[in-house]
Amino acid sequence: MTSTLAGEHLERASRWIYDGVWGVLVRWFRVPKGPPVVPCLPGDELESFRPSAGFLRYLKLQYWLTLGVIGAPLAIGCIIALVLAPRVMIPLAPLILALMAVPAVAAYLAIHLRYDTTWYVMTGRSLRIRRGIWILHETTITFENVQNVEVNQGPLQRWFGIADVKIDTAGGGSPQPGAHGAAAGAGHRGLIEGVHNAPHIRDLILSRLRHSKSAGLGDEPHPAASALVGWSPAQVALLREIRDAARSLATHAAA
Amino acid sequence: MNSAVSAATQQPTDPRQITRPDRALMRYYLLVSLLTGPGFFLAILPLWFKYETLRYRFDDEGISISWGILFRREVHLTYRRIQDIHLTRNLLQRWMGLATVSVQTAAGSANPEGTIEGVLAADELRDFLYAKMRGVHEHAPEAAAPASGPAGTDGEPLELLREIRDALVEVARRREAKA
Repeated sequence: MTSTLAGEHLERASRWIYDGVWGVLVRWFRVPKGPPVVPCLPGDELESFRPSAGFLRYLKLQYWLTLGVIGAPLAIGCIIALVLAPRVMIPLAPLILALMAVPAVAAYLAIHLRYDTTWYVMTGRSLRIRRGIWILHETTITFENVQNVEVNQGPLQRWFGIADVKIDTAGGGSPQPGAHGAAAGAGHRGLIEGVHNAPHIRDLILSRLRHSKSAGLGDEPHPAASALVGWSPAQVALLREIRDAARSLATHAAA
Repeated sequence: MNSAVSAATQQPTDPRQITRPDRALMRYYLLVSLLTGPGFFLAILPLWFKYETLRYRFDDEGISISWGILFRREVHLTYRRIQDIHLTRNLLQRWMGLATVSVQTAAGSANPEGTIEGVLAADELRDFLYAKMRGVHEHAPEAAAPASGPAGTDGEPLELLREIRDALVEVARRREAKA
């Protein structure tokens, strides 16, 4: 009974702190709270979504694993130091604990903030991705320009039922190695991370892609060329036959 | 924040009328240089030169960006060839009402081909560029097609059809004359 009550209190306190952080971010750091808007033509559907809840769990698992890998040796080191030199270590212990706890809490908070500031907006024709807190990055891509679509899913991501959709436009250049978040969004790529309906998104973009007759390099179907293409040699030959038939009809009518 | 608001009146919100970056950009450059600490004078000079010489032109077809004193650079892009648009704002820029709009074409580099800094109405600029991008409007190619009609480049098929029409008209005329 007391444990659930304590859990409730903890949850309420953490929510309160989180809302406070959000308030500071929105008011002082000018982080927009809602999804980005895309100018939309009439009759075009607009869909805003965030990564799925599984993505948050996936990030948290990564966090705990990292914490275990980094934290465990540190904790063991501290305990050994405490045993070897208790006189020095006991007064220092609170300080060391705080030094270890603050980055851990900040990283945990950052996961939630990252999740809450990532937005994907899709219209029938284009895609806008926003991510980032310190550096806000918004990418806009029209499906007409998409060259290829890639769906990636690791074993852990499969466990959480999520996948990443990568959308490339023309032009090379690899993003900076190890780039993450805002920097990874640069270049000729849109990254839709941690969504549960990746196949649906892929199909949607691919169907737009197949509709498009151009190469997606800024070229237009040439009007004069398309007029010439409109008549094949066989069609012209048939027209010629029809003309001849009509002509003979005309001469017979005279007779 | 007041400074940004007062400066907003100096720059037109219509992207086509923007020719110079806003003064807020110079303040931003100054702050960025201050953040480098001892490198301040090294950092501020090129940025100041860039600010002073930066010129934008948004015409009907594309964007021209030019800057530089010793080494001059000019970048020309057409709207139709834009592949993707990036809008980036860091904390300082958000505080000063600024943004960086990067435009990428299909050239082979990860760095954006056109970078537009110091525009206060960055969202409007981005939407303006977006509206001119390929794939936003469905009927652009169809709209261009009728324009080729009066040009009369249709060649043989049109000539054949005309002859067929003439022959049929002839048939009808003679039938009528008989009756």
